[in-house]
Amino acid sequence: MAAERAYRLLGAPAPDFALRATSGSNFRLSEYRGDVVLVAFWGSSCGTCGQQLGVLSRMVDTYQSAGLTALAVNVDDDQAAAAAFAAAHPVSFPVLLDPAKQVARQYQVDNLPMLLLIDRGGAIRHAWRAYRTGSDAHYLEQIRVLLDE
Amino acid sequence: MNSFGANMIRSTPAWIARVTAMALSLCATIVTGADAPLAAAPATAAVTAPAATAPAATAPGATAAEEPATDASAPVVAPDTRALDEEIQSIKKDVVDLNRDLFVLEEELLFPANTQVAVFLSMDVGEFFALDTVELRMDDKQVTKYLYTPREAEALLKGGVQRLYLGNLRVGNHELVALFTGKGPNGQDYSRGAQLRFEKSVGAKYLELKISDQQRKHQPEFEIKDWE
Repeated sequence: MAAERAYRLLGAPAPDFALRATSGSNFRLSEYRGDVVLVAFWGSSCGTCGQQLGVLSRMVDTYQSAGLTALAVNVDDDQAAAAAFAAAHPVSFPVLLDPAKQVARQYQVDNLPMLLLIDRGGAIRHAWRAYRTGSDAHYLEQIRVLLDE
Repeated sequence: MNSFGANMIRSTPAWIARVTAMALSLCATIVTGADAPLAAAPATAAVTAPAATAPAATAPGATAAEEPATDASAPVVAPDTRALDEEIQSIKKDVVDLNRDLFVLEEELLFPANTQVAVFLSMDVGEFFALDTVELRMDDKQVTKYLYTPREAEALLKGGVQRLYLGNLRVGNHELVALFTGKGPNGQDYSRGAQLRFEKSVGAKYLELKISDQQRKHQPEFEIKDWE
């Protein structure tokens, strides 16, 4: 996986952040320490983002009891557009808003969608910079490994 | 301990010397401990597969050809793992202690007592205010902006005190402004500020932001207190 090798934060502790969700509540990444966390960066103009969020939502539904959770981080400037997109693509996890792109910069997001897999100890273990047909099987494979750790 | 370590300890204050000595001792323990599994490996293998590894389990000096039958029929002795467990626990404890000492050392180096300023936040009751964010401005410069999750706000309401900011200030007069946002008495968006002018002298300065309920006015109250 060339994309994984190129991602500089692989193996490093995931930078902590707190963001407001479309629901109005605030969420902080470090409160999920002990869980396997998917952090999905997305934008409303991205073609495959909605599809990826749907796949992630189903995975979280299935593996939540085993300790899998997800946070979707929207990087749109227009929060209303982000909220409308989120309403059209309902997911079972918080959709966070990062209009200032502070968190996106911390995580060196250079493509959308971008998905990060964080282990129970808070380290970034996998990064996927695109979503293609069949990506979900690869996600699942890595998620299961981390859930078993 | 090598001469580098000894020289280092002689030329540094006592508490730094203690941390260094602990680190060197820990390294030595880890190096020693790394050899132990290699020495213990044949014994472990003999327990799991005595027949296959019988020659390896013979006493030092004896050869496999001399007493193969004796070794195969010898009773399996469980390895004494208790000592190893105790050693591991001891190393873990040393690591935790070392980590704590290094944390203290880091804080003392980054924030010396004569320039240190710390701002704490506490909440009392919270009936009229649900905290969302706090922004701190020191001498008109934003030094922190903190977003609170429901869990963090709840911890504050239960009596927790959060260290919101730790930094350095030179001796003299300064101004701290705190801006609070959240939900007010009727669930409406609520924003308030508090300001304190204070004098920083030699020695650490501790300030507290206190959010409390003003029962008489049915309003939240925000104040900044100087911990003398």
